[in-house]
Amino acid sequence: MALLEVENLSIGYHSQKGYLHAVEDISFSLEAGKSFGFVGESGCGKTTLGIALMRLLPPNGVIGEGRILFEGKDLLKKSDEEMRGIRWKKIAMIFQAAMNALNPVHRVEDQIVEAILAHDLMHSKEEAMKQVEDLFVLVGIPKDRMRDYPHQYSGGMKQRAIIAMAMACRPTLMIADEPTTALDVIVQDQILGEIKSLQEKYKISIIFISHDISIVSDVCDNIGVMYAGQLVEYGDKVEVFSSPAHPYTKALLSSYPTVTGEKYKLEPIAGEPPNLINPPSGCRFCHRCPSAGVSCKTESPVWFELTPTHRAFCSYIR
Amino acid sequence: MVENNNKPILQLKDISKTYSSKTSFLGGCGKEIVALNHISLKIFKGEIFGLVGESGSGKTTAGRLIVKLEKPAAGKIFLNGNEITGLTGKVLKDFRLKVQMIFQDPYQSLNPQLSIYDTVSEPLHIHNIENVQARKYLVIQALKSAGLTPPDDFLHRYPHQLSGGQRQRVAIARAMILKPKFVIADEPTSMLDASISAHIFNILLEMREKLGTTFLFISHSLAAARYLCDRIAVIYRGNLVEIGPGDAVIQKPKHPYTQALLDALPKFGHWDEVRRYDTLLKAERDTYQDEGCPFFDRCKVAHKEKCSRERPHLTAAGDSHSVACFYA
Amino acid sequence: MGRFEIGSYEMSMEKLNKKSLNRMPWMARFRDGWAIYRQNLLGKIGLTLLVIFALMALCSFIPPLIDPMYQPMTGVDPNIAKSTGPSFRHWLGTDFMGRDILSQLLAGARVAFMVGVSAAFMSIVIGTAIGMIAGYMGKFVDTLLMRLADMIMVMPTLLVVLILAALFGQLNIWTIVLIIALFRWPGVSRVIRAQTLSLKQRPFIEAAKVAGASHMRIIFRHIMPNVLPLAFLYMTFRVTSAIIIEAALAFLGFGDPSTVSWGMMLQWVWKTGHMFKAPYWLLPPGICISLITLSFYMLGRAMDEVLDPRLRKETGTG
Repeated sequence: MALLEVENLSIGYHSQKGYLHAVEDISFSLEAGKSFGFVGESGCGKTTLGIALMRLLPPNGVIGEGRILFEGKDLLKKSDEEMRGIRWKKIAMIFQAAMNALNPVHRVEDQIVEAILAHDLMHSKEEAMKQVEDLFVLVGIPKDRMRDYPHQYSGGMKQRAIIAMAMACRPTLMIADEPTTALDVIVQDQILGEIKSLQEKYKISIIFISHDISIVSDVCDNIGVMYAGQLVEYGDKVEVFSSPAHPYTKALLSSYPTVTGEKYKLEPIAGEPPNLINPPSGCRFCHRCPSAGVSCKTESPVWFELTPTHRAFCSYIR
Repeated sequence: MVENNNKPILQLKDISKTYSSKTSFLGGCGKEIVALNHISLKIFKGEIFGLVGESGSGKTTAGRLIVKLEKPAAGKIFLNGNEITGLTGKVLKDFRLKVQMIFQDPYQSLNPQLSIYDTVSEPLHIHNIENVQARKYLVIQALKSAGLTPPDDFLHRYPHQLSGGQRQRVAIARAMILKPKFVIADEPTSMLDASISAHIFNILLEMREKLGTTFLFISHSLAAARYLCDRIAVIYRGNLVEIGPGDAVIQKPKHPYTQALLDALPKFGHWDEVRRYDTLLKAERDTYQDEGCPFFDRCKVAHKEKCSRERPHLTAAGDSHSVACFYA
Repeated sequence: MGRFEIGSYEMSMEKLNKKSLNRMPWMARFRDGWAIYRQNLLGKIGLTLLVIFALMALCSFIPPLIDPMYQPMTGVDPNIAKSTGPSFRHWLGTDFMGRDILSQLLAGARVAFMVGVSAAFMSIVIGTAIGMIAGYMGKFVDTLLMRLADMIMVMPTLLVVLILAALFGQLNIWTIVLIIALFRWPGVSRVIRAQTLSLKQRPFIEAAKVAGASHMRIIFRHIMPNVLPLAFLYMTFRVTSAIIIEAALAFLGFGDPSTVSWGMMLQWVWKTGHMFKAPYWLLPPGICISLITLSFYMLGRAMDEVLDPRLRKETGTG
């Protein structure tokens, strides 16, 4: 049985201008110990999906329909009390710009100890401090830096501290939303390496959310490409990368410059993503799609299975 | 396309810049931070020159010194052979006609209270150019060449009504409206998605084709620099460590830092390749930063004696390719 | 990145026809602004109340035209020589001299607006100019101006006016307005200076410098429009404080004796011992003072939302 199974999940926001269909009808599954990456550009709904899985949507966010089955049980049916028992202990999340989540006036060690004690993991401060020490070793922060304040840490170290906090409970699932966006290339590479080794060592499942398809392809086993709130391509990363089927995935891949291989002309994608308050019927990508057919505007696309581990949401794949 | 008759359009000679940080949060005396350390380089007319480095490398500072948002602590800057380091008054204003900048953050580089028309036409107002009709025409032309069509739609909108990509294109229109000879693009796409970045890159390339503008492209992305630039310079902690033709620096990097950068880039499809250069130490060495090579404390291939005492200078290592390393 | 963008969502601009696009941008902005303002409940209540008060002020000219006995200051009902309750001839009754209370109330509305708005406007103009110059110039000019502001700020306005009144006898209403303005600008200038300091660093200011803009141009074209919303906001609060100061002065007997204001009315109620005997005389001016200050405050809050696009209730995440 998969660790996480999401079935037909739809999420929206009530805004002043109307109901925003942020995420529409998403289904995917994640095996224990594997990693799944969600890729998409701004506004595609990937962050919304991430926080919805933890049921941390803001007050105007609504889960329209669907099920989130974690270890076989539907998270949407759980009470607030039960969710509190799951968050951080079983499912941990690293938010975007998490480094700014560290309180600048407290020492880093104190903040993590406080989090541990607040979640009833340990009962004495000494135990918690020992745990923090172990965590720091885990993520590669030297022990003599534990008593520092956040501003004395570099960007990479702050991110490592956040990962240590997320790991405090040895969660089964970790959701990482753009954990390396603000970091330099070399540090990014090191952090990604760390996340990968943590995953292998502790058999944690990871959901990795990013706008950068090259990072996601490095870290994850499976990839889901999102566009305008929908999942448009989904499968094993090697297959998705080497033979992308959905026109958006193809366009996305050809808009990244590379350092290896042939130098090709970057093709930007013309136009803008659709308005999600009144999403168009039919395919949401058709206005920008180079291979759009006549029926794409009116008929909803269908899932096309290229291989058992690679599917795309498009009517025109042959 | 690139006029390399040894007369560069822009030249930096021995530029240094330091910042003194005042007392730190918890006390302690002010330190001097060296942002740029005796940088010299030449950029030729019509080329797109890439300056690549990580945060804190000094690349943005170099750009800001050239547009005179800040003054160098030492050294000289030349535009077309004329020194521009100490310009004031009318001469400074004329300089502004020739050198412009595209800023990094499209969400902050446009005045939120001004319409797009006002923002793009401002340089025209400042330099007392033409009458109202002519200004409107020039603004429309600028918006068109920056890829914002139909231009009339955008004139009366405000920045918060535009997406990040559109805002950045407005910033490009503003920078280009005076048809400057030299433009600094300071990380123009780091806040934008990939598909939009691609568009911005292509606009820059087009402007170089059509107007012959010379660009200094500042970025942390070697991949973007490879796509856009004729030549690339790599900067580390305020020091130039490698300069050369784009393909040479990317395919045959000579400096251990450049090699480490290339190693760290996501493999993008080539997952089974082993790390190619492996020049980075796992843990940093403890050293005196003032002496020796700036990369010494992280360099795997460094020699303890020489590299910690002497500072390497840029020396030729191939066809217009120079490296600041004793062992390249 | 996490910025949520609702596609290429355009506001009521789409409804504007081509012709109006050629008009001044500020008209389009006004239209947009009104659309937003309309949605704010507090703003609507505040504006309604203010419109009522404004009408009252405008109508203050009418009663004396109907019959000279309705003159607020000098009109006396020939048949009444003491305070009487509401009746057909005098809708709110008469004061101790037989003067019509309603016409006094209307005249008071006029004075309130005059005093409030003029004093606020003057103090804002002074405070904004000084704040911008201090913030932008920095160093010596900044220090000088801010020390001046400090000195003035610590002086209690009311006390100073009382002392001046004691020294020079009864003060003219416009003198009072001027003094209020001269004592109230420091508060504004501090805030505007802080705004200016933060704006100074913003990239669009640097872009203007790179384009060759002079200091004056930067201050008036770039900084001023961005601090004006804050200045306007402060103006609404200043109006309330100006009205209250004037009312307090009048109540204490230091107002302009030739001007009928609500504070003056309260003074008459008190001084003639009618405070508990004539609620029809006591309550109207008191309620008016409270309501007008409240409505300016509500106006200020709603305007804040209009003028700062980022404060609008846009929701959602990427």
